[in-house]
Parts: sequence; C-alpha cells; structure tokens
Amino acid sequence: MMMNQQHARERAVRGAALLVAALLAVTPRAEAQVRGTIVGPGAARQAIAVSPLQTNGMPPREGERFADILGKDLELSGLFRVVDRAAYLEDPQTSGVTTGTIDFRDWSTIGAQALVKGKLERDGDQLVVELRLFDVVEGRQLGGKRYRAKSGELRRIAHRFADEIMLLVTGERGPFDSRIAFVSRTEGRFKELVMMSLDGGDLRALTKERSIVLSPSWSGGVRSLLFTSFRRGNPSLYRLTLGAPAPTLVSARDGLNLGGHASPGGRAIAVALERRGNTDIALIDPDGKLIHFVTHGRAIDVSPSWSPDGRRLAFCSDRGGGPQIYTVDARGGEPKRVTFKGGYNTSPTWSPKGDRLAYASRVQGRFQIFTTDLPGRDVVQVTQTGDNEDPSWSPDGRYLVFSSTRDGPRGIYLSDVSGRHQRRLTAPGGDDSSPTWSRRLD
Amino acid sequence: MARTIRLATAATVPFVVPLVVLGLVLSGCVKKPTALDDGAPYDAASAGTAPGSGLGADGASDTNPESSLERYRRGLAPDEGGILKDVPFGYDSYELNAAGRDILAANAAWLNENPGTRTEIEGHSDDRGTIEYNLALGARRAKAAKDYLVSLGIAPDRLSTISYGEELPLCRDSNESCYGRNRRVHFIPPGP
Repeated sequence: MMMNQQHARERAVRGAALLVAALLAVTPRAEAQVRGTIVGPGAARQAIAVSPLQTNGMPPREGERFADILGKDLELSGLFRVVDRAAYLEDPQTSGVTTGTIDFRDWSTIGAQALVKGKLERDGDQLVVELRLFDVVEGRQLGGKRYRAKSGELRRIAHRFADEIMLLVTGERGPFDSRIAFVSRTEGRFKELVMMSLDGGDLRALTKERSIVLSPSWSGGVRSLLFTSFRRGNPSLYRLTLGAPAPTLVSARDGLNLGGHASPGGRAIAVALERRGNTDIALIDPDGKLIHFVTHGRAIDVSPSWSPDGRRLAFCSDRGGGPQIYTVDARGGEPKRVTFKGGYNTSPTWSPKGDRLAYASRVQGRFQIFTTDLPGRDVVQVTQTGDNEDPSWSPDGRYLVFSSTRDGPRGIYLSDVSGRHQRRLTAPGGDDSSPTWSRRLD
Repeated sequence: MARTIRLATAATVPFVVPLVVLGLVLSGCVKKPTALDDGAPYDAASAGTAPGSGLGADGASDTNPESSLERYRRGLAPDEGGILKDVPFGYDSYELNAAGRDILAANAAWLNENPGTRTEIEGHSDDRGTIEYNLALGARRAKAAKDYLVSLGIAPDRLSTISYGEELPLCRDSNESCYGRNRRVHFIPPGP
C-alpha cells in the first residue's frame, strides 16, 4: 500500500542530491535591494558552519544527520551558504561546544562567519538537544536553546533551531517548523494529497481518493485541510483532519464546490459555488450550511482568499472581461479591482501580514508569479520561466511556494518574495501542484 | 583582520532590530514540539460520508460508467464525440459559435427523436490558465450547451451538467490544434 509513498520518498532523495549540485553552481550575487517587509533572503549570503553534534554515547551518525537537516534549511532560507563539512578541522566528538572551549581560528580559517555547535543526549526515552549559534569573527555566542523531545522528533528540532537562527539574525522567526501540503499525481493518473516539510522530508500521503483532488487549503492551524474531490462524481468540498480515518464531506451542492478557505477565526469557509452554471463566492459555516453569497451576477468568480483580519476576500473574476483580481468585503458589497496589467490574472492569496497579494499572471503566453501591494501600484514579478501557478505564502511572509514547469513536468518550488532565491522542493519526474503552506506547527 | 561578521547587515536590512547579544539563553522549558499523527492514509473503499449528505455509504460513485471521469478511473482516455457530437469553443470563451450551434441543433434533433433518454453534458477546457478558473469555465460551457438545447425544446430534466476543467484532456500537446480539441463540451451516451 505504501508503494506510492516509498516511490515519492525516493524521488525526494534524488531531489536533494540535485539541490546540492545546483547550489555549488551558484555564483555570489550583488547586494540585494531591500524594501518594505522584504528582509534578508536573496541578499548576500553568510558563510555558516554547522558542526555535527556531539553525541555522547549515541551513534555519531545521528549528530551528522541533524547537521544535514539544519544545514539544508539554512541553505533554503537564502540567508546562508553552509561551509562544506569536509573542510572542518576539529573533531566534533571531542571538541568543545561553548564559547571558552571553541578555537574560533579553526573556523575563520575555513571561511566560516557563523558557527552552529551542539550536543545530543539520551535521557530515558527522550532526547535532549542543546544548540548554540556563534559569531566566529568576534568569538562570542549569539544565542542558544535546549530542546527535549521524543526520539522521533529530531527532524523537528532541527527545523525549530533553523527558525531560531533566522530570529537571531533577522529579528523574525523563520518558517521551517511547518508543513506544505500539495496535490501529487500517483499511479500515473490519480491526483492525491501529500504533505512534506520544506526540505522534502516527512513526506506522507494524506488521501487515497483514486480520483481527482484539487485546491487544498489548511484550516484550523495545522490539524486539518479543506480540499475538493471528484471521488463521488460531483466536485464536492471535504475536510481531512490529520489522524482521522477518512475525510468528511463539507459541501456537496450540485456542481462546483471549489477552493474552500477557512476564515482566520474559523467560523466561516469561503468557497466558490456553482449557481445555474455560474460560480459565485459564498460563505458557508464549518458544517457546510450557507451563511450568504458574497458575490452575485453573471461573471465567473473563483479562488477566494481571506485577508488576515477576516474582513475582506481577494478573488478572481471575469466581470471586467478577462480574469482579474478583485477584493470585496466578506459581508458583500461592490468588489474593488486590484490588477490592471495583463489580460489574465488569477489565484490571489493574501500575505500573512495583510499588506500584499501574490497571484499568477499571464505574460507572453506563460504564467508567472507576481505580488502587489493594495490597491495594486507596487507590482513585483517573482518568477521568469516556465508556467508558474498557485502561490502560497510562508507563515512569516518572506517566501512563496508555487508550482512550476520550468524544468519539465510540474514541481513545487520555493522563492523568496523578491524572486532572487529560488529552489525546487519536490523531486523531478513527478507531477506536483497546488501547494499550500501551513502556519508554524505551534 | 578587517572582516567582521555581517549576519544582519545594516546595508541590506535597513530597519532590522539590532542584533541583541542573548548570551546564554539555554532554557530548560522549551515547549515540547507538537506531535503529528503518523497514521497511514485511509482506504478509499471504507471512507465515510457526512450524515445527511445523500450519498451512498459504500463510497461508490453514481456517475455513468461512460463518463470521462469513470473512464479515467479505469485508466481509459476520455471519449471524443459519439451519438451526440462534441461542441468546440474558443480560448477562454464560453460563447457558442456557428459550428457549435449547428452541432447542438443536430444533437437536439436526435434527443427529440429519442424521448425518454437523458444525457450528461461535460464541460472541458485546455490546460492554459489555472485549475480553478478552468473548472468555472467548463461549467459555463456546459451551461451554455444546456441552455441552447433547452431553447430548442429539450426538457431541462433530461440534461445534467458537470465541469472537469482541464483535468481530463483528449491530448497533452502544447499546440493550437490540441488546445482546440480539449476546449469542448462532451455528451455521455444517452440512456434511460
């Protein structure tokens, strides 16, 4: 039964190898031009050494594995370049992990500006992981944390400390302790829901619909997802609660029940419903009961996305002729057009801080990811090649994930909001689309 | 040794908070990470339904076996044409053109000669554009075909509609002739 998952995992592993190859080819970039809330990623990257952890009786391999996971997150952040472990001079098992016991010259010699050291210990059935970030040049500690967790949660500790390092360095916590759900083609044809960490780890199949699954969206934190499935013929809206035996039906009205998005407070779901052959944006309650229709009329209205304060919705409509982005009061009222450039703008998604929208726009026949402020003056193009669709923001608002065909069949990609730092997240050879980035796990 | 560490350079991050020297902030009370359930995916055949949904508890679809969706589930390509011919559409359009109206007139004639039959009208799109918008477009195409048949005297309760958007294409090439084939309304073979 787990053949798909295993296959997907193998693909992820191949993807990781490819990622490293790509990184080695990267040339240093000119200093970034930073503005607005765009902080850090994409600017000149800092050289950081991530020492394997001291393992104190546990296999040294565990300490290396931890450093691998943390190092990959730091590379993905776009803030750091991890110094190759082969260059490290000291023995991680016998050297010190605190300021007075580290010879920082050994690290500055190999070009490291920052250093992560730590130790891993077993305490009964738990693991204790102690981690510190050092400024190599000044020879001082910048921060440290101690984590206590079940032994299966080592990967999560690495993600959490990556977030901690980003907090220390940029003043804002990173996005790595989170999950990305997306649609993945299996058995050559079915579209199913899959979930992974940003580094491609923790990959897990979520549905077994043997049908077409569309438009997943996290609801209620990281415990459940809304999605549309054709499992019983009609494209109906379902909710999958992680750990529950099966998805439950939310809305099975005749025709499309599409793109369900839970409101920030959780009391309403915005969804595109079909009325007499035409789709309008509606609000339904968590059990699927209609609250009210937000949009009306003869135009196609799809892809609703909530503002973080829960007051407005962004959506795509052809009311002006072609598909364009609008916002509207969630209680109803006159929609306000946001996009004016380009003949096909769609899939809007509101940033976590509420200041920008990301969307897909057709440029010379291909779809590219853009962001815009509101009301739509400061437009930034994020992607340049292939067809790029379905953007989703990171919990900290500094990154986007989306699908792209730039290297062949659709895969999931990461970019910082400026577009300078882009990486493939899923392995080549799959057909992966419609990513949705969760909040942080806590 | 003029080089200094620039972990949050003022030049690149103009308004970042100054790096606070946190010293030793090793705390013994870090929140335990939330455990995620690690269960296997459910089995499609045993998956439940919400109460009052009106759907069979066996998880079976009530879709016609010759519909494009049921063919896809069996690993078969969608049918093209049939007793009732496919209706073509222009790019990003749900307007019926002259050729489409002629085909629908012929389809209406067949349906008039075979009273008591019903058919499902499937709306499809090419793969340019986004998944959700193309589903809405397919719904409009199916509705346009249904409205025209009703205007020609076919009872609305003999006609149901569904949109598959870009999900069930006839071909996967990136050229206009393939895009054109995929932008269609298809009728599943009429039956009682």
